[in-house]
Amino acid sequence: MTEAGYAPPPDWPSAGDEIGAQNFGPFGHDALIRYAAVSGDDNPLHLDPAAARAAGLAGPPVHGMLMLACFEPLIMRWRQDLFIARLSAKFLRPVLVEEGIRVLGRVLRSRGAPRPELMLRLTARGPGDALVILAEAEVLYRTS
Amino acid sequence: MTTRDPAQAAVQAREPGAAGPVRLPAIRVRTEPTEVAAFSRETFAAGTGDFVPLTFPFRWLTLPPIRALIVQLSGGEEFLPVHEAQSFVYERSLRTGADYVLDIAIETSEAPPRLTLKMTVAALQGEICARLETILRIVRLKGETLS
Repeated sequence: MTEAGYAPPPDWPSAGDEIGAQNFGPFGHDALIRYAAVSGDDNPLHLDPAAARAAGLAGPPVHGMLMLACFEPLIMRWRQDLFIARLSAKFLRPVLVEEGIRVLGRVLRSRGAPRPELMLRLTARGPGDALVILAEAEVLYRTS
Repeated sequence: MTTRDPAQAAVQAREPGAAGPVRLPAIRVRTEPTEVAAFSRETFAAGTGDFVPLTFPFRWLTLPPIRALIVQLSGGEEFLPVHEAQSFVYERSLRTGADYVLDIAIETSEAPPRLTLKMTVAALQGEICARLETILRIVRLKGETLS
């Protein structure tokens, strides 16, 4: 994979450009079981209502990593010529089983040189538009 | 004293009272195509390109020696690790059907109790491909029996 080219394409995004929102979920119990199977994260907190109650939650929370994973398709459906060099996130509040999220983003900073790169602000919002993940990504222009 | 448990051995290898991270021996892993495909399906990445999803390496933190060390450093089964923050830094994309070597270090901190896991994913030739940092807050269960 070519990690980065050195000249931005004519339609290279600018600071302030929006990445259109996408909805993911609702995440049912079956989706959490399937994610646990493919990720190995079978923490009972996510799968067992009793464990969730013991942790003080009304129901099993959706895996934070399942929600964080939604940012990659958000970015790659926006533009396929990007390489995500960094993604960092804070999980602010849980989203419970049977709930969904809306993810969206905005270009915080755009550079064309010395290599084309973007700094993105990404958010995931849950029921009631509550902020559940606050994230930032650094993406580079990928020429192939 | 010798042990065959890597988590136990890692903790024991640290000097008594020493601060700093507990480090596991290197672990060899593989991006099995079927596992990558299944992961892509469940994380909405299918159809967005032929690549290993960015968050795929997180699954290696659930490998038995790493999981055992997390449980041990968390204080045991009556505590639950709650994911608080996560970062990925990529030098290069991972390839499907390739072998990699993991280097894992876990550091504990107090008030509130947390574990900070740092993992590097390197090619067999030694080039680092990715770095992960995972912060887990440790929560004591309220005494309810888990099913």
